[in-house]
Amino acid sequence: MAVEKARAVIAEFLARAGKSSDDLSDETPLFGEGLALDSLEAAELSVMLEDVLGTDPFSSAEQLPQTVGDILAFYEVSSSA
Amino acid sequence: MILLLERAAAEAPDHPAVVTGEGTTTYGELRTAARRVAGGLVAQGVTRFAMVEPDATRIVQLLAGAALVGSEPCQYQADMAPAEFAAQAESLGHDVVVTRRTDLEGPFRVIDPDELAGAEPDTRPGPGEAQPLLIRTTGTTGVPKAARHDWSILGRTVATVSPRPQQRWLLAYGPHQFAGLQVIQHVLASRATLVAPFPRQPRDGVDALLTEGVTCVSATPTYWRFLLAEARSRGVALPALEQATLGGEASPADLLEELRATFPGVRVSQVYASTEFGSVASVRDGRPGLDAAVLHGEANPTSHLRVHDGELWVRAGAGMLGYADASTEAADPADADGEWRRTGDLVEVVDGRVLFRGRTSEVINVGGVKVHPLPVEERISALDSVAAARVFGRANRLTGAIVAVEVVPLGGADDADLDRLREQIRDAVADLPRAWQPRSVAFVDSIQTRGDKTVRRVEA
Repeated sequence: MAVEKARAVIAEFLARAGKSSDDLSDETPLFGEGLALDSLEAAELSVMLEDVLGTDPFSSAEQLPQTVGDILAFYEVSSSA
Repeated sequence: MILLLERAAAEAPDHPAVVTGEGTTTYGELRTAARRVAGGLVAQGVTRFAMVEPDATRIVQLLAGAALVGSEPCQYQADMAPAEFAAQAESLGHDVVVTRRTDLEGPFRVIDPDELAGAEPDTRPGPGEAQPLLIRTTGTTGVPKAARHDWSILGRTVATVSPRPQQRWLLAYGPHQFAGLQVIQHVLASRATLVAPFPRQPRDGVDALLTEGVTCVSATPTYWRFLLAEARSRGVALPALEQATLGGEASPADLLEELRATFPGVRVSQVYASTEFGSVASVRDGRPGLDAAVLHGEANPTSHLRVHDGELWVRAGAGMLGYADASTEAADPADADGEWRRTGDLVEVVDGRVLFRGRTSEVINVGGVKVHPLPVEERISALDSVAAARVFGRANRLTGAIVAVEVVPLGGADDADLDRLREQIRDAVADLPRAWQPRSVAFVDSIQTRGDKTVRRVEA
C-alpha cells in the first residue's frame, strides 16, 4: 500500500518537474544519468513523500536512496515493520 | 527571589552580591535594601508596578522586595523612549512606574526607587503564597505581550544549585529578559557575585572580563562572537573562564571550538528556553544542537520538547501561568496543539542530535542561499486565484531548509483548479533563483496570521 502510494508520488513529482516517466523502472538512478535530480529537486521529492506517507527515505534512511527502487524499498521495510 | 536572597544573606552577609558601575553591594546590604523596598511598596499601596531601571543592584532590590510582599513587578528596557513606554504601560495597565528617569510622563505615578529603599523595612518572616512577576516578551512589534510568572515556580530551576561563592557571573543579558533573570537567580542560589556593567554590549563584557575577575558568562552566540572579535581587535588576551553558557540561537560548531580554544578548560553549556516555557533543555557536551534523547517519545514521556514538521514544539516546564492580557491567550490555535506550542525554531534530527536550522519567521537558508520569504509571498499573493499566501522555511536534510508555501485558493477549488493553480504558482516565481522557488505547496482553507511568535527563544 505504502509502496504504491510512493510510486504515485514519484510519478506526480516527475510530472510537476517536467521529467519523463516513460522509461521509469526500479533500477532508474535518481541522480546522474537517470532522473538527474539536483539537491533542490531531491528535496522537493522528499517533502512530497513526507507529506503523503509521513516519512521519507531522504530524511530518515541511513544512506540516501540511489534509485527509484531504493525509495520503494524504504516503504516496503517501513510497512512490514 | 527573596528566599534565595535571604538564604545567601544569612550565610554570607559580607560576600559581594552585585558589582555595577555604581559600586559593590554585599548580600547583607542587598537584603536590608530589599526589605526597605518591601516596606515602601506596602506603605505606598503598590500592588503592581512597572520598572525602568538600568542598575542591577536596584533591580534585584526591587524584585526581591516586591516578592516579599506579593507586589507584581514588570521590567521595561531602561532606555525605552518615553512615548513607547507610555503606550506599552497603558496596554499592560501599569499606573505606577518605579524609575529614576524624569522624562517618563503619562497617566501613571512615578516613584524613585531610592525613595522606596529609604522606607522602614518590612519585617514579615517570609513571602506569602503569591510572588508574581510579569516578563515582557522581547522584540515585539505592535501590541506587547507579557507572561505572568511566579518566583516560587521559577525558583525550581535553581533548586539544586550548590554554593559556589568564588564564581563571578557576567550579566550579558538584559535583566528584563527571561535569560537575564535566570542568571540573577542562579547567582543568588549559588551565593556567587553578579558583575553587571551598563550598557551591556560585548565591549562592556570584554572590559568586565579584563578588570572584574569574571569567571562565568551566559550569553547568546552572537554576543560571544562579538566579544571574541572585540578582544581580537583590541589585541588583548582574555583571562580564563570556568563556565561559558550559550542560548537564544543555534550554537555553531566553529564558535564552540573557538570558545574552547580561547578559554582552555572552560565548561561549555547550551540552554534551550523561552519566556513562556522556562528552561526546557540544556546540554553540556559542547557539541552543536541538543541530544535527540531530550525529545518527547516512548523513551522520554516527560520531555518538554518534540519535533513536528521540522519545527520544534514545546510544552511548559517551569513555565508561565498565562499572559497578562487573558485575551491574548490561545489567540492563535494554529500555534497550539493541546499543551504543545510552536517555537518557530526549525530543527532537523541528524545522527542523534537536534540541530537548529533557523527560524520559521526569518530568512530561509536553502543550502546556503538566503531566501527572503516576502518576494516569494508577494508573487504568489498577486495571482488572481489566490486569496492569501504564507511563505516559510521547512527543514530538510538535503538542503537544510526548503521554501514552503501555504496557499488559500480564491473560492471553492476542485482538484483540476488546484493543478492549474500549482502551475500558475510555478510560473509566478520562475524569475526568482531556483533556491527561492517553493518546493512544498500546500492548499489550505485559511492562514493564521501569526505576527510575532507567541514563543520565543531567550535563554540563560
